[in-house]
Amino acid sequence: MRVKNKQIKISTLSGVAVAKRRFVLGVSIPLLLYLSLSIFVLGWALLLMFFEYSPTRRGGPFLGLGGSNPFVGLGNFVEMVKGKSIEARLFRTSLKNTLIFAFAVLPLNLVITLPLAWLLESIGQRFKTIFRTIYFMPVLMSSVGVALIWLRLYQPQSGWLNQIIRFFGGTPKAWLSDPTSGFMGVPIPMWAVIMTYLWQDYGFNLVIFTAALQGIPKMLKEAAMVDGANRWQIFSKIMVPLIRPALLFVCVMTMLSSFQVFDVIQVMTGGGPGYQTQVLVLDIYKNAFRYYRMGWAAAESFVLILIVMSVTIFQMRVLRTKWEY
Amino acid sequence: MEISTLSKATTCELKKPRRSSLKIGQGRWLIYLILIVGLSFTLLPFLMMILSSFKTNLELLRIPSTFWPEKFTLQNYIKIFNDPNLPLMHFYGNSAFVAFFNVISTLFTSSLIGYMFAKFEFPGKKILFGLFLTMMMIPMQITMIPSYLILAKIGLINSLWSLIIFSAVDPFGIFLMRQFCETIPNELMDAARVDGASEWRIYGKIVLPQLGAPLATLGILSFMFSWNSYLWPMIVLQKVEVRTLPVILTWFSTSHAGQAGLIMAATVLIVIPVLIVFMYFQKWIVQGFTMTGLK
Repeated sequence: MRVKNKQIKISTLSGVAVAKRRFVLGVSIPLLLYLSLSIFVLGWALLLMFFEYSPTRRGGPFLGLGGSNPFVGLGNFVEMVKGKSIEARLFRTSLKNTLIFAFAVLPLNLVITLPLAWLLESIGQRFKTIFRTIYFMPVLMSSVGVALIWLRLYQPQSGWLNQIIRFFGGTPKAWLSDPTSGFMGVPIPMWAVIMTYLWQDYGFNLVIFTAALQGIPKMLKEAAMVDGANRWQIFSKIMVPLIRPALLFVCVMTMLSSFQVFDVIQVMTGGGPGYQTQVLVLDIYKNAFRYYRMGWAAAESFVLILIVMSVTIFQMRVLRTKWEY
Repeated sequence: MEISTLSKATTCELKKPRRSSLKIGQGRWLIYLILIVGLSFTLLPFLMMILSSFKTNLELLRIPSTFWPEKFTLQNYIKIFNDPNLPLMHFYGNSAFVAFFNVISTLFTSSLIGYMFAKFEFPGKKILFGLFLTMMMIPMQITMIPSYLILAKIGLINSLWSLIIFSAVDPFGIFLMRQFCETIPNELMDAARVDGASEWRIYGKIVLPQLGAPLATLGILSFMFSWNSYLWPMIVLQKVEVRTLPVILTWFSTSHAGQAGLIMAATVLIVIPVLIVFMYFQKWIVQGFTMTGLK
């Protein structure tokens, strides 16, 4: 009797094991196919950057590489660093602009969202929800829509921004098309797109920060108050260090997305005036799909990814925390 | 784990509104002032969009421009809907088609693969998952060129399916679902196994119902991303009639440059569905973003 029982158990167990294995195979085989497709695509991209490839030319037998799409080795990268051609100069301009954009967006974003999240955290629940909802709305909007709205706001004659400036007695500006003026060494059109981008993006970080602040035990704050800490001290010495994981996440995400900015700039300025707002992804897009210089564009996108990854790793090193509460 | 504590924290707060320690301070009005300034920074562009869409073109060209429309007019909207060159409903259809299939495929693949990674042991699992995380970090800008070449080769340029295929598997969704599946107790599945349920049945009847809330969140998010995505559709959809809304919106705005009322009305029409979805599912979306955001 006992033996029989055991046998039944073993047989059902192995039946379950077989079923499980079949399930895993059924899911993972299509998955592996998909993964190998993406790896193939990635490998192709990595190959392309060593060629001078254009889909308009008939190349060699393997992926159209070779033949009239010659292998240039590291030629594309050498050209990027010290080339005199228009593409090379444009690449360096775009790289510079992308760096300006990303390194302006991140601190501005933090300066707005961190204190705002802290203030939001200190008001009543009902208001907090309303405020948070409204702050979050632009995040979900189509960035093309956002760009068109701001295009209208920046309109030199009848846009609301110049309207407000005139009201206060200032001189109106051609925000998106004046190539001559700048602020802190950065052209005004660049600041204009940075503002638009911030407007759309800051609600996201705000929500992340409020969630993180909510998770901090109240007693820490109260203990600090009992010890006579003022509000600034509580904010800078307790709140900010305790939300470091959220801070890390926000920094990485903001950097990643601002290095890849495209929509807003493509719609608002198209890179102008005179390439002052030309960023990397826009340059990649134009090279790949307007001029069909796909080898060059692939090399550019590789540089973009190298930068993105190194910035991410650097931030993870700097902002990593070892303790929990 | 983080997720469950987070939602617990929110429900606690809903039950018992916390009085803040800053309330008694003299700085309370200042806090509200700053928050309201921030709020108007967010709201003014929205307001401008909506008000402009009800103004006549003549009014929009005038300097100084008006804040409130002198005479509310629906002329812009009527013009858009009657424009034979812009069958707006057709483009809504395109966007909705893509969004629908994107949401369905993302939900299906994410829950299935996430479940497998959370609850099954098999050789090479760690490597496979690590591979996934790596793929997650690779931005689409590097893969878009070969992807385009592949689509061109198999003749899927100008097909809406090309947008659907390339977002059928979402590593981010898989990551999210794996986290949730780990919280489902094993006993639930084992009990069903003892009762003789097949593995697919367990996935369909036991795992999926447990994932209701995160699936809803993921579905809403992928709807939004699909509805708003711009770069890839612009590359792939070159014929006018197959374009999705954001792509058609930029095309419309350049072909009707100078008619700000029309452009703003079109923008309103494209933004509205997303805002409605947001208002309706507000809590889930904000929660979803924070859930997926932290760790």
